[in-house]
Amino acid sequence: MTPTILIVDDDPLVRKLITTTLQDVAGFRLREAGDGLEALEAAAQECPRIVFLDYDMPRLNGIETCRRLRSDPSTADATIIMLTGMSDAPALDRALDAGADHFLTKPFSPLRLLRLVDELGAG
Amino acid sequence: MTSSTGASQDTVASLRDRLERLEREGTARQRQLERYAADLREIFKQERDRAQALRRSYRATVLALADAVEARDAYTGKHAERVASYGLRIARAAGVEVDPQVEFGFLLHDVGKVAVPDAILFKPGPLTAEERVLVVRHPVIGSEILRHIDFLDEAKEVVLHHHERWDGTGYPDELEGEDIPMQARVFAVADTLDALTTDRPYQAATSWAKAREVIRMEAGMQFDPAIVAAYETVPDEEFTGIRDAIA
Repeated sequence: MTPTILIVDDDPLVRKLITTTLQDVAGFRLREAGDGLEALEAAAQECPRIVFLDYDMPRLNGIETCRRLRSDPSTADATIIMLTGMSDAPALDRALDAGADHFLTKPFSPLRLLRLVDELGAG
Repeated sequence: MTSSTGASQDTVASLRDRLERLEREGTARQRQLERYAADLREIFKQERDRAQALRRSYRATVLALADAVEARDAYTGKHAERVASYGLRIARAAGVEVDPQVEFGFLLHDVGKVAVPDAILFKPGPLTAEERVLVVRHPVIGSEILRHIDFLDEAKEVVLHHHERWDGTGYPDELEGEDIPMQARVFAVADTLDALTTDRPYQAATSWAKAREVIRMEAGMQFDPAIVAAYETVPDEEFTGIRDAIA
């Protein structure tokens, strides 16, 4: 089965930019979610290999979503990349505690995004 | 009243126009951003594919050079490839960073032997002092052959120092202990492992177990004890697997 990347952000433009940037780069299927609850629902169906997770979201924020993904055995092994605001050190700490593997600070570098996914795809 | 309603209708209409214009602009900007993202993605993919093609052609070139060295010697065939694979495995066990250049160095270690005449290289008996001088120069010659090849900078270190010994009695520079580049220390163990476990005109191949004994005895003399310890963690079956895959 083709592995999936789940992109979770409440801003449709950010989601669209990430999916456009990553289309066909490392053989992943791309799936979007608009908040944490949608993300958990999508994750339960897809068991994504990689999750891009916005820090600030309505309904269920990135930290809590991250924790829940980590505690569910079917998504516990996913690579979670937290999208945070520039130089928000406490947010980085909280994301680490919640089990995030990597960070991208907004505005994120599309090249970093590409390299990250290319490496994760190769591995 | 009528005129005031007309004015507010004007205002509503003009606000609606403005809103629509803003939405159109927003959509256009978003499309433009997406276009940037798509082009960037395509350029990334092209660049990645080119880098891969370049790495493949580097490797093919290095293999061709290594084969050219080995083509003279009917007995060692594939020695360089085996040593390179053993070396990479031992390096990984030792936690040494494995750059593609390290493998190139392993593959090319004996490139300097092209300058040693057949009569000396394949002489069955002991070498005279003069002949030995020629043989002992092959690491220096090898590193000189590669000196202008930028992508082999690290590899040259292996080529130059692959006959150094941990106790400082090797050549060409009689480097001792940690002064010997790490990759060359790894190589020394892999080279001996292959020499012992391959049939040679003067000596039949030994078992992996026997080779292990010999290498263990040389820890601290010919070899870095830490590299020998790392080698000891790799089971024989893995070396067999590597040898069978290359043969």
